[in-house]
Amino acid sequence: MTWICEETEARLSDYLDGLLEPAEQAAFDHHVNGCARCAPLVASVSHVLGSLRRLEPVEPSPQLVNSILTATQGPQTWRNAKRWLRGLQSPRFVYSAASVAATIALLLTATGFNWRRPKLADLAPATIYRNADSWVHVVYARSTKFVSDLRVVYEIQSRINETDQNPALREDTIPQSSPKKEPGHTENSNPSSPKQQNRADEFGRNLRVLACEFPTLSGALVDRRVP
Amino acid sequence: MRRHTRRIFNVCYRFTGNRTEAEDLTQDVFLRVYRTLASYRSAHGGFATWMTSVTRNLLIDHYRRTKRDRVTDSLDDAMPVVENKESVARRPDEQALVGELSGQVQSALTRLSPELREAVILRDLQQLEYIEIQRVLAVPEGTVKSRINRGRIELARILHQMGVRPS
Repeated sequence: MTWICEETEARLSDYLDGLLEPAEQAAFDHHVNGCARCAPLVASVSHVLGSLRRLEPVEPSPQLVNSILTATQGPQTWRNAKRWLRGLQSPRFVYSAASVAATIALLLTATGFNWRRPKLADLAPATIYRNADSWVHVVYARSTKFVSDLRVVYEIQSRINETDQNPALREDTIPQSSPKKEPGHTENSNPSSPKQQNRADEFGRNLRVLACEFPTLSGALVDRRVP
Repeated sequence: MRRHTRRIFNVCYRFTGNRTEAEDLTQDVFLRVYRTLASYRSAHGGFATWMTSVTRNLLIDHYRRTKRDRVTDSLDDAMPVVENKESVARRPDEQALVGELSGQVQSALTRLSPELREAVILRDLQQLEYIEIQRVLAVPEGTVKSRINRGRIELARILHQMGVRPS
């Protein structure tokens, strides 16, 4: 492959950028080494390329960025305000605000605030305190009553269990009018029904006592009576 | 923002050779980008390439606007523009030499025709690939290579006339 000077000049950038094929590179070097015109050209362009790549970047003035921002987005104070408003749109802020609003709504509802007919007087601290105080007392009373009722039910249940486990206790509760069973003697009667009836009678007696003392419980417990 | 500002400013400065004009043109570039951001499409290349394309168009417009106001360039009137950034690692005499050479190279750059100048700046100063320069200048790759080659040779010729010789 032989190179001429015009070809050397045309492919000079490819040579300097390392884009020539090995065969082309060899032919290029062979020509330049022996050409009085091309050798200084290659040397001077190589020198220029080196100088260009050694040029250091120039720093703009510090005010340039600020003037660009002012020209595009407005003065500094307005940019700060817009940045602050953008912060309000962040998900974290929105979730926090929603949580706070929900908490306030919950508290107001708990203190008796009427959402359908709201009144400014309902938001007064004294009103909120009075409503909250009465609400706390009602909750306390109801929970105390509930615990007490549970205790009664538990006592009844435990007495029934004692009666089942201890036959002696059961016999003491059998009324005198019922016939005594002789061992080996069978009667023409259903052996299970008097027992159940006696237990039901006792259960009913207990229920009547409870009904007098705890009116609200009576409705539930009476329903449990065995017919 | 600062990174793009620095890059665009350097393109404008190397093209115009004037710091004040370069800052004004940089601001114009960002204003144009800000107003036409909706027209940017990633299919046209990266955002940096698009910004460089906007910069190039504004530089050409500026060149045409100021062509009639420009005095005829003469090598005798050449005033090398010395860079502000100086390397502290170099000796003072070396530093002076580098500064002088940089000024001469900058002066020679401004003497190139706009087409050759922008090709050399984008390739040798901004280190863009041929495909990116092709997108910025909107010309075929062969034209890009030809302009870069002619620009380098012409720059070497101008520097030779200014008395700058390879060491």
